[in-house]
Amino acid sequence: MYISKSRLILKIWKNLKTKLANNLFNILLSLIIILALVSISFSSIKWIIFDSNWKVVTSNLSLFAFGSYPASERWRPAVWIFSLLFLSVVTLLGPNWKWLRKNLIIGWISTLPLGLYLLYGGYGLSQVMSRNWGGLTLTIFLTICSSFFAFPLGIFLALCRQSSFSLIKKISSLYIDFMRAIPLIAVLFFGQLLIPLFLPSGLEIDRVWRAVLAFTLFVSAYIAEDLRGGLQAIAKTQIESANSLGLSNFQIKRFILIPQSIRIALPSLTNQAIGLFQNTSLMAILGLVELLGVGRSILANPEFIGQYMEVYIWLASVYWLFCTTFAIIGRHLELKMIRNRSNS
Amino acid sequence: MRKKGRLFVQFLVLLILIFFVSIIINNLLINLSRIGLGFNFNWLLKPASFSLAEYSFSYNPSNSYAWALFIGWINSLKVIFTSLILSTIVGIIIAFFRTSKNFFIKIISSGYITLIRQTPLLLQLMFWYFVGFLGLKSDSLFPSQNLFNISNQGISIGSVSISSEFAALLFGLSIFTSAYIAEVIRGGIFAVSQGQWEAFRSLGISERKGILRIIIPQALPAIIPGLTSQYLNLAKNSTLAIAVGYSDIYAINDTVINQTGRAIECFLILLISFLILNLLISNTMEIINKLVINSLNKK
Repeated sequence: MYISKSRLILKIWKNLKTKLANNLFNILLSLIIILALVSISFSSIKWIIFDSNWKVVTSNLSLFAFGSYPASERWRPAVWIFSLLFLSVVTLLGPNWKWLRKNLIIGWISTLPLGLYLLYGGYGLSQVMSRNWGGLTLTIFLTICSSFFAFPLGIFLALCRQSSFSLIKKISSLYIDFMRAIPLIAVLFFGQLLIPLFLPSGLEIDRVWRAVLAFTLFVSAYIAEDLRGGLQAIAKTQIESANSLGLSNFQIKRFILIPQSIRIALPSLTNQAIGLFQNTSLMAILGLVELLGVGRSILANPEFIGQYMEVYIWLASVYWLFCTTFAIIGRHLELKMIRNRSNS
Repeated sequence: MRKKGRLFVQFLVLLILIFFVSIIINNLLINLSRIGLGFNFNWLLKPASFSLAEYSFSYNPSNSYAWALFIGWINSLKVIFTSLILSTIVGIIIAFFRTSKNFFIKIISSGYITLIRQTPLLLQLMFWYFVGFLGLKSDSLFPSQNLFNISNQGISIGSVSISSEFAALLFGLSIFTSAYIAEVIRGGIFAVSQGQWEAFRSLGISERKGILRIIIPQALPAIIPGLTSQYLNLAKNSTLAIAVGYSDIYAINDTVINQTGRAIECFLILLISFLILNLLISNTMEIINKLVINSLNKK
């Protein structure tokens, strides 16, 4: 007993030795890093607990979550966000039933009408105009709504780029290349300031929807480019065999090209979703009060002036949490798809 | 018959597109005349009458709008070029750390990458500016003020000094891009087959020499296209300069629009400046790519 214990310790020691320190230089390096890490974490814990003043965050939590949404109606965005969280958990942990897998997509698609109903009101709920939306609610709304429209548009553009009609091919590749060459802030600027100039007088689109439109136009080009990579990876023989089976052009796209290209492009599509979520923060410079915008307006309040550190660390952790969750869900879907393919 | 049908479909698409565009342009003309602005570029020669904090060539408010926009373009170029170099250096270091055998270095570098990649760039830029630079005291961090100086006025090394706006943008952009560049480089190195590593090790070639002479030359053709797209992203992201008050091309365009109301013209100028920037970066990278491939083929 005693011997085996000492052997175990020896084994662990050996393991540590090979892992941490192959030679003297590595031992020194590891020691320096440990010392630096300890001192940094010590001083940051000290700052977080003693030196910082988190009142700027704790007293504004509802502002960060809902912006200037009327206080009596704040349960509505809260219900929406919780339903999204619930769906994410089901997607992540849910069993691999075929029924669930099919209906999960319907569930995700129906989050948008549900969100619109809950946020706007009407039909029994009091109406709230979109200029009162803000905070995390607006950030999530912009992300979900833009990806809802950008995804089909991206598929459409990717297919157009593969089209045998040379004119359609040229137009769509011109659009995709152009959108990918200009900065997002220029597109958003176009959405906020120039779209009203292109509309006939009398017709107005409010700021939130103009932002959604701009994000959709921008992101769809990137999605199309990602899907093109997927489309090109599909072997030509598959299309030939589908043709010889008598499938129509539409059927080939619907059952063979689109599902496979989405599966191949899934990692980059996840990155696009994460990028979109982060990029909604650009609306803070263009006058929407989303999550970062709330932070900016709180910092402009004389009561909290100069507390940049607390606000930015708080915002960074919220963004980090959401983006990491997205990344985990994306990774999970990828693994699930690989497993399904090898099963069938 | 089938060929004729295809032509007809394309013609129809073109017709619909032209119809749509002409409606939009018609609306635009109606709206512009209602506001009282036509579409012309004559205003470019009028004096700009705003001052700039940062300029590489002589500038004063009596210079024309065109000159102010050019100064902005040069400012953009300056920040893009410097952070391109800085981000590449940091990216290489981080990629090297990620492949390191030391457990702690690995953890730190992957922590760095997730932290940088999973938070918005705009937030990072604001952090660098408002906390990193404006949070400093007005006097130097270091007692020996002459040689190296960091304060809320910026950084100065000897006689060269950069403003805190430029420094914040440079730091923010470089650190953000370096995390992506590190991933590109790591991907390229992983793309080299494991057999190559085993081969040079079994031949008794030292680790350092093997990586420099055998692995990296083979990884480069996979790395350069990825680097190009990261550099293009860097150029596009540099427009977030407006958040820290650095006068780049987008920020100056914004000021000009606020003064003159010429939104359409300024937007076109912005697009053209970006197309030129993109061409500049992608052509340079194309030349580098060719040089690398040529020099590899020679050996």
